[in-house]
Amino acid sequence: MSLELSRRVLDLPPSGIRKFFDLVVGAKDIISLGVGEPDFATPWTVRSEGVYAIEHGRTSYTSNLGLLACREAVSGYLKTRFSVSYDPAAEILLTIGVSEAVDIVLRTLLDPGDEVIVPEPSYVCYGPLVKMAGGTVVAMDTSDSGFIPTADTVASRVTSRTKALILCSPSNPTGRVIPRETLVALLDLAVREKFWIIADEVYAELVYDVTFTSVASLPGAKSHVILLNGFSKAFAMTGWRLGYLCAPAEVVAQANKIHQYSALCAPIMAQYAAIEAVKNGLQDLEMMRVSYEHRRNYVVTAFQEMGLSLHAPEGAFYCFPSIRETGLSSETFAMRLLEEKRVAVVPGSVFGLGGEGHIRCCYAADFDLLKEALSRIAAFVASL
Amino acid sequence: MIATPVAQDILKILSKNSRIPVSDIAKMLGISATVVAETITALEEAEVIVRYTTVVNEQKMPQMKRKIRALIEVGIRPERDRGFDDIARRIAQYPNVVAHYLISGAYDFLLIVEGDSLEEISSFVSDKLASTDNVRSTSTHFIMKKYKEKGILIGEQEAPERLAIMP
Repeated sequence: MSLELSRRVLDLPPSGIRKFFDLVVGAKDIISLGVGEPDFATPWTVRSEGVYAIEHGRTSYTSNLGLLACREAVSGYLKTRFSVSYDPAAEILLTIGVSEAVDIVLRTLLDPGDEVIVPEPSYVCYGPLVKMAGGTVVAMDTSDSGFIPTADTVASRVTSRTKALILCSPSNPTGRVIPRETLVALLDLAVREKFWIIADEVYAELVYDVTFTSVASLPGAKSHVILLNGFSKAFAMTGWRLGYLCAPAEVVAQANKIHQYSALCAPIMAQYAAIEAVKNGLQDLEMMRVSYEHRRNYVVTAFQEMGLSLHAPEGAFYCFPSIRETGLSSETFAMRLLEEKRVAVVPGSVFGLGGEGHIRCCYAADFDLLKEALSRIAAFVASL
Repeated sequence: MIATPVAQDILKILSKNSRIPVSDIAKMLGISATVVAETITALEEAEVIVRYTTVVNEQKMPQMKRKIRALIEVGIRPERDRGFDDIARRIAQYPNVVAHYLISGAYDFLLIVEGDSLEEISSFVSDKLASTDNVRSTSTHFIMKKYKEKGILIGEQEAPERLAIMP
């Protein structure tokens, strides 16, 4: 008998660098480029639909998969926007944000010892959730190929235990978008070597001067791809906690068992609001996208003027410049920038292999504050 | 130069903030400051950009003498061979009229009229507007409070709280 906590959990690293993150949270009067969410409130039409749902007593559980009307709305939206087709009756599961979708899809796929290839730098949840599901993380550094995972590099990591490859495009933290031809090659590899592609496309709507291809839209993709997306980033709905998992019916049925026991269903008011988002929120979405695009252009130019090199981010709302030139580690850079110039950014080392030597700046911040933050970063870099 | 997508982008940015520096617009659109400056000049010369004005929240400045505003619906008997435009031209000339539209529905014109006092607007309506040839009827609505203007919400807006940092 023992009161000890699970070894598996104790061994998990906390998300981010605890010391630095605590410092930021405690700091007053700082400009933060350290967030990972839109600076817009949810479009009013969507908010008011959520309020309407609450006013009318729509406060119950829904079916485990989610309201059929919401799944139909998601299905129609995916078809129009990304040319992918999923049957709302059996191939779509509404989840509590994309985070839950990542968790349950990994638990659905993995047996102990199964390997998941995670191209890094990456969003911080994949590795820990793979471990929690009993799998083994095969981290893959993409910094030599401009943060784009190439089929050759992935192929070199494939073993007989490979179960899945996680792709996040547009990427948090780098903002890069995987080009169509690379996706084709990655899908070919997945089909040939028999593993799943878990595609986290939560930033799919926030793409600037390139065309976004959903890997699920490629011919023959559906049998090997599990598509994850959600409302948080596109419709500025982070707090509503609504994502979705699209996959072959058998995968959805098995994932739904975990979802049913651990979450039961996604919040009903968020589901009603989401129906409105895809029906009448696209104009707001485009307004926000253009606003991010303007800020992205501004930020990229500003970093170039500082002499920091970067791969131009084509999507999401992050910029991931290299700070190698300064000779500082990413953590020291972020720490000193916070202390000396009152600007918060996220040290690249948080995001795994290849992240060191970079900082992540989220440009979804008020334009005037963003401008001020960049001029402070420029002054800081010049002072080194 | 004014028929380009860049000109449209510039107009959208200026419509939100006409005081934004040219160099910022250039960085936002990823083009040179010279192109931005030339496009703006071309837009001004072509009178696409008619004027730069200010959205004011007078409620924040109680010491300022506030203008009284009214919306006035105007019914018109159109003139033979001349339609609405000639009548409109005569009404729109008055400096009290700050906006003038031809509208569908029960009335023909919608005016936004401004004055220093209720009396000034009343006398404008009775002495000038109602007595204009072919004006059939007027209906005056005084504006009591401003909630939104030019797409901008007026008054205190709470800034929602966000976490300062998250991966």
